Amino acid sequence: MSAFLTFEDVSFSFAQGKVLDRASFSLAQGSCTALIGPNGGGKTTLLRIAAGLLTPTSGRVLLGNQPLVSLRRLEIAHEVALVPQQLEVPFSFTVEQIVEQGRTPYLSLLGGLKAQDRCAIERAMELTDVTSLRHRVYHELSGGERQRVKIALGLAQEPKLLLLDEPTQNLDFGRQMDLINLIRSLHSEGIYIFAAMHDLTLIPGTFSSVVLISPFERLRQGSPEEILKSDLLERAFRCPPPRPSTLQHGVSTPSEFAL
Amino acid sequence: MEAEIVQFVAGEESGSSSARLPLGPVIAVLAAVLVIAIVLAITCGAVRIPLESIEACFLHSRPLAPDQRTILLDVRLPRIVAAAMVGASLSVAGLLFQGLFRNPLADPYVIGSSGGAVLGASVGMVLLPQVSWMGFSAIALLAFAGSVATIAIVYILARVGGTTQVVTLLLAGFAVSTMLSYSSYFVEILDRDYGMGLRVLASWLHGSIGVPRWTQVGVVGLLLLIALPASAVLARRLNTLALGDEYAQQLGVKVESVRIAIIIVGSLFAAVAVSLGGLIGFVGLIVPHLARLVMGPDHLRLLPATALTGAAFLVLTDTLARTVMAPSELPVGILMALIGGPFFLYLLRRTKRGYGA
Repeated sequence: MSAFLTFEDVSFSFAQGKVLDRASFSLAQGSCTALIGPNGGGKTTLLRIAAGLLTPTSGRVLLGNQPLVSLRRLEIAHEVALVPQQLEVPFSFTVEQIVEQGRTPYLSLLGGLKAQDRCAIERAMELTDVTSLRHRVYHELSGGERQRVKIALGLAQEPKLLLLDEPTQNLDFGRQMDLINLIRSLHSEGIYIFAAMHDLTLIPGTFSSVVLISPFERLRQGSPEEILKSDLLERAFRCPPPRPSTLQHGVSTPSEFAL
Repeated sequence: MEAEIVQFVAGEESGSSSARLPLGPVIAVLAAVLVIAIVLAITCGAVRIPLESIEACFLHSRPLAPDQRTILLDVRLPRIVAAAMVGASLSVAGLLFQGLFRNPLADPYVIGSSGGAVLGASVGMVLLPQVSWMGFSAIALLAFAGSVATIAIVYILARVGGTTQVVTLLLAGFAVSTMLSYSSYFVEILDRDYGMGLRVLASWLHGSIGVPRWTQVGVVGLLLLIALPASAVLARRLNTLALGDEYAQQLGVKVESVRIAIIIVGSLFAAVAVSLGGLIGFVGLIVPHLARLVMGPDHLRLLPATALTGAAFLVLTDTLARTVMAPSELPVGILMALIGGPFFLYLLRRTKRGYGA
């Protein structure tokens, strides 16, 4: 399978210091990849670079075989959508009004929503199961509902690749499982997924590939079995990983968590 | 003029089904309210002009009495049109800035236009009291120039590394505006005719529409005719900007250009209002708030509703200001503070829904 998105020796520095150091990996077409690593290790920065919102200090990112920097913002927006960790919306915008904004890259300066835009909006809300929430006010929703609305907003863009930044953050384990099931169903709909994940126990069985970034280790990419090994994780996180057996997980992770 | 905007916006709005209330009927009702307000304003005043004589004048070409004609055409009508334009300008400026700052507390003067306007007006009052251009006094023109210049300075100050932080913009606006409005004190000291200048300045600071020349009304009308359609384009962008700068950027919005455009257009509205009516508070705060309660937060729907409501609201308040203590006149800004303040607080208490972050 050819690569959809490729990082080639990508480094990135903020004024405070280096966040990414010569990161190289690629996302295959049709892949469902998890991004893991310690807090402050550059997961969000990496996702923002992948979405073309930040330009690498050195190295390059390819979308297909075109450098991301050579593409116009709208061209990127048709291919890649980033669902951020936080989305705060002022005023009482409803769920539907927010999801509609996902069509912005497809609209002319003055043109309204067309039938095809309506279609994309309905489908995005259906896939994320927020159709019944359409007239609810976004900032009055629960954390799990907001998470689904954010994903619907990303899907309304009709991207090939959906970037998710900590989608299970602040969710209880029931909502976490809902979200994992949503990621699986989106993947089965043909959407490529690249998600920064906090809870490593949610990865096996859902993600086919894992990218590990850490300030203490070089970047690694492999199958969940290859990456989720306790010695590797201990070096990357500077802490022995918790044992899933002690967590009393009743969750349906088909493959054993290979720690 | 507003009717054109309404059509312009209503035409492109039809795709949205997220309406709480259908836009068309709401706009029709608001337009009717504006017309009634204007008719009421025409008939009321120190000299009463009965509706029948106006009707007779227009429908049966039976001329008005000369004094009635003078009062109507040279005094009352230009003032009413000016009040409508000032009300619409302040309200739309408020809407644009509230959208830009993602905060319902922003008002038309939020990034400092009032401070520059005060300084400009006092310079005009002391140094060039007799100068005028196209009916605009030097006071009005310098107030306009002062408010535009202040906003340019504030924007440049708030710009760091190619972007502007909204909070920095707000703080810089507050600081510059306060500095300028207090420095107008030094200009006032230069005034030999101390008491007189102060009184004129005070009436201007309290907000007073006065009696504009038709040329003034025409120039301002022309400016609004450009600025209102421009705001329709910006209103859509404001809906996307509500998702935050970074998300809007992801969706292909050129955040910085849109922000500059909103600042320019919003400041133009504020400066236009200042040049005709001095500083009038609360309109730009209340009207968008009220419109949002009825129409929901979609800026494209809010724009025509806000412009019409603002126009009707100020026409009514100004009519009250010149009749309530007739033949002497209350500055409309003072009346607006007395009516608008409590009304705003009432709305604030009544709004069950919070504003979120």
